[in-house]
Amino acid sequence: MICPRCDSKNVDLLTKAPVDDAWEVYICETCCFSWRSTESDDIKDPEKYDKRFKIDSSKISSLDKIPPIPELIKKKD
Amino acid sequence: MSYRDLREFLEVLEKENQLIRVKDEVMPEPDLSAIGRSAPDMENGPAVIVEKVKGYKNSVALNVHGSWQNHALMLGLPKDTPVKDQFFELDKKWSDYPIKPVWVENAPVKEVKITTDINLFDVLPLFRVNKYDGGFYISKALIVSKDPEDPDNFEKQNAGTYRIQVKGKDLVGIQPLPFHDIAVHLRKAEERNEPLPIAICLGNDPVLNFMSSTPIEYVQSEYDFAGALKGEPIELTKSEQGNLDIPARSEVILEGYIMPRERRIEGPFGEFPGSYSGARLQPEVKIHTITHRINPIFENLYLGMPWTEIDYLMALNTSLPLFRQLKRDFPEVVAVNAMYTHGIGVIISTKSRFGGYGKSVAMRLLSTPHGMPYSKIVIVVDEFVDPFNLEQVMWALTTRVRPDKDVVLIPNAPGMPLDPSSEPAGMHTKLIIDATTPVAPDKARDTELLDVPDKVDYWMNYLRNTMRKEGDK
Repeated sequence: MICPRCDSKNVDLLTKAPVDDAWEVYICETCCFSWRSTESDDIKDPEKYDKRFKIDSSKISSLDKIPPIPELIKKKD
Repeated sequence: MSYRDLREFLEVLEKENQLIRVKDEVMPEPDLSAIGRSAPDMENGPAVIVEKVKGYKNSVALNVHGSWQNHALMLGLPKDTPVKDQFFELDKKWSDYPIKPVWVENAPVKEVKITTDINLFDVLPLFRVNKYDGGFYISKALIVSKDPEDPDNFEKQNAGTYRIQVKGKDLVGIQPLPFHDIAVHLRKAEERNEPLPIAICLGNDPVLNFMSSTPIEYVQSEYDFAGALKGEPIELTKSEQGNLDIPARSEVILEGYIMPRERRIEGPFGEFPGSYSGARLQPEVKIHTITHRINPIFENLYLGMPWTEIDYLMALNTSLPLFRQLKRDFPEVVAVNAMYTHGIGVIISTKSRFGGYGKSVAMRLLSTPHGMPYSKIVIVVDEFVDPFNLEQVMWALTTRVRPDKDVVLIPNAPGMPLDPSSEPAGMHTKLIIDATTPVAPDKARDTELLDVPDKVDYWMNYLRNTMRKEGDK
């Protein structure tokens, strides 16, 4: 299986439905996108996922950090 | 108040014909999102309980705050109370701050306790709120955290609403924006490389969600304000870990900690200005304990193109602090309407002490903590114009504004990054429109306002009674 949003192969089964095996939820470990097996094809299919919302996995690490990580306080001896 | 928690408030709504039960089984997508979008668009905007969601055990509550009728009932007022009257009632209750909470044993939220094999999906019917959201979101949470430098200080404890993206069975992402209180707590924890304990409280007394989205001061307790709004103390209890004070009557509590000095991708997420906010690197929360009531209700909200539930929730709780801050220095101010797009648009009603006064009031608004970054368009109207009545405000714009002297632009001022028109993000040009009647030494053509005819009160009553009698036939 491939992530519909960033095309990564690093996809895991997140959970199955608590009742009736009604669906499964998958998650991409690269871009954290998650989706349910019962959602429409334009959510699940990498070819049909809207290009405006696709994510280039090589650019994830350069996204803004909110909030910024502060400097560590040095412990006094 | 005639309710103590979400369940009892839902009963109030049902009695007042402000609640719909969906008994048919629905799909998590796209049905829950579509229901959350539809309910506030209906006349009287009812809350909706969805009893059965495919694959899940528990029910979902949507649009609990999503109309002026529900908002009035939350404040203990008749459901047809006009917005301006709700504003003044809120102002009155506000003065009772603080009413301290009480701590109770055997809290309902502790009926069920889960500490092993945690799976959020077992308890919460999670769903995608908008189509291109990065995942399933918890949009209506009250999140409790303490100041790591002063953990015993009750007032510095914060209960705020921050968006939550589910990223695993026991893992969620959170958005602590730098100008919100939880970011202060997190900074102090991260400077020490310590985890920050938090409690994500779901399905609350509606007054608690109202306060958790109100911009009060850092050293003020949302619980003390919630008590003031209710006229009686909120019931609290202690979290299982982290010594946090949590509502005793919530439906579900997710306890966990923000992992220090780590950021992972979060978003995008459809936000209140009606557009998506992009993906960023944000902190994550490990959930170690869930406590909940038997048969918990998952309360969540839809947000998107205004107006949706969140616009009702953030309407008067944004207006009131601004009103109080203005009133302190400008006693002539009558009311402030900051309910459009979370205060990006504001209408102030004031009496003018002398010529140009309207502009001064607007400039004061633009130097308040919320108004400085958020407010972009400020309209000032006379004291007899109801700022919550847009027909009257349009009258003021069309009859009181001379664009050559009453319209002012202030370029390159602080802005709000979620406003998609701010360019660069977080900067914008302010627009002040002074729609007040000129007073000396300012000049205008002589005009005389029309009076209402004599006996209007008599005939209004007469006509109303006649209509009521016709309706009874």
